[in-house]
Amino acid sequence: MRRHAAAAVLLLAVGCATGPSLETRGRVTAPPGDGRHLTVGSAGFTESDVLAHMYALLLDHAGFTTSLITVANRELYEPALESGRIDVVPEFAATFADWLNARTHGPDAPPVGSPDLGTTMKALRRLAAPRGLTVLDPGRAVDRNAFAVTRVYAREHRLRTLSDLGGSGLKVRLAAGDECVRRPYCAPGLRKVYGIDVIGVDPKGVGTTQAKRAVQSGRDQVVLTTTTDATLDAFGLVLLADDRHLQNADHVVPVVGRSRAGGARVTKALGALNPVLTTQDLASMNDQVDSRRRLPGDVARAYLEDKGLLK
Amino acid sequence: MPPDDCLARNEWICGAYLRTRRHILLDAVAQHLQLTAASVLIALVIAVPLALLARRWAGIAGPVLAVTTILYTVPSLAMFSLLLPLYGLSPTLVVAGLVLYSLTLLVRNILAGLRAVPEETRRAAHGMGYGPIRLLVTVELPLALPAAMAGLRIATVSAISLVTIGAIVGFGGLGNLIYAGMNTYFKAQVLTASVLCVLIAVAADLLLLGVQRLITPWARAARG
Repeated sequence: MRRHAAAAVLLLAVGCATGPSLETRGRVTAPPGDGRHLTVGSAGFTESDVLAHMYALLLDHAGFTTSLITVANRELYEPALESGRIDVVPEFAATFADWLNARTHGPDAPPVGSPDLGTTMKALRRLAAPRGLTVLDPGRAVDRNAFAVTRVYAREHRLRTLSDLGGSGLKVRLAAGDECVRRPYCAPGLRKVYGIDVIGVDPKGVGTTQAKRAVQSGRDQVVLTTTTDATLDAFGLVLLADDRHLQNADHVVPVVGRSRAGGARVTKALGALNPVLTTQDLASMNDQVDSRRRLPGDVARAYLEDKGLLK
Repeated sequence: MPPDDCLARNEWICGAYLRTRRHILLDAVAQHLQLTAASVLIALVIAVPLALLARRWAGIAGPVLAVTTILYTVPSLAMFSLLLPLYGLSPTLVVAGLVLYSLTLLVRNILAGLRAVPEETRRAAHGMGYGPIRLLVTVELPLALPAAMAGLRIATVSAISLVTIGAIVGFGGLGNLIYAGMNTYFKAQVLTASVLCVLIAVAADLLLLGVQRLITPWARAARG
């Protein structure tokens, strides 16, 4: 963060010379490069912050100098990634593939993200390459949508998977975002793929405290959240396994600008995380930041040191 | 295992927050001040000639005021998005947006100050043999100062609050902390950063008030 302020001063001094360049063609066709100073972008939510800090620490360790920048959303950072203002960003494979697809082929294009990681990665790389972006290999950690019920409810009806819930014939109200009514991964998918009798969607947001309280109190039976949600325990909730693979392959992937960060050294530095970081780890780090209010940078460093990745 | 401190309990007022985030808070305050100072100063440099032009040629006054007022009505989120293709993700983007907002307040107030100079004063100076430059520098600008300073104070205070919107591109000073804190319901962070923001605004206003008193000693003498 101190670097952040220093960078601000520097950029203020440099002044108007910092607009994005229009020469993207060179970036697309030039050989992948290894810039010495790399900017890591974060999308501003906890998990993205933690991942960005881990990337920056790994790159520092590999001999690069890095700075971090937090940008509100993908609409803002993706163009910056193309222009070279940002060099590395943590992304989620299927979500990013669908976003790029909508940007390339319009909002009504059929989605390209799929439950299969291989298919998703292939589609993602095909969409990213013409924009001068390289998608590095995905790791084990996945932040995909998931459905949870209370532990009591699960025990009472012997539920472990979503198939169990479909087979039970129970009528359920779903606490989720209002888009759940239409999205294939949500209410329509639960009905079609699992035969779950969804009698209504309670628009309380994805994994919000409100949504979890609604399920806790019995107002709703199922809550839509994500696989890296670490607060489920505190609400007495358990995830039901997505045994028929309704959810897309939202594996964590580093996306880099090819011209400045597409080289082997960056790939190797960030690749070190792939065999190590699990969905559980990510959930626990989110919890340390969101519940215990520790700094994302400290949490990231402690994790990497613990796993021996900064030696 | 989790430490039971005010951070974990998510309290509004939290000493541990101040202790663990001291550097972050200082950096954010520094960035906030830099962005505010840069934008208000640049706006001032642009506003003074604009106001002079607008007073000199009445035909220009209308369009100048209209354009700066329209700029003022552009929502700040939209403003930054519109400027994004020009400046990219940089502090310059935030400064450029704030300059545009400050212009309205400054041009209007400087112009009002200049127009408030009594005609007889101007004629008297003329009669004493003052040329237009000397008239401007030694008579008109000093008399316009109180109104201009009022505009500068409003522009500065509003810039201090608008800097926070810069958080959407990562350069929002204390706004970065407020934005991040709101996303995770981090009460201590939201409150601390907001209070600092208010303190900066009050301090800047008092500072400018002091400067105004210093450079317009006659105003005080007349009142006393």
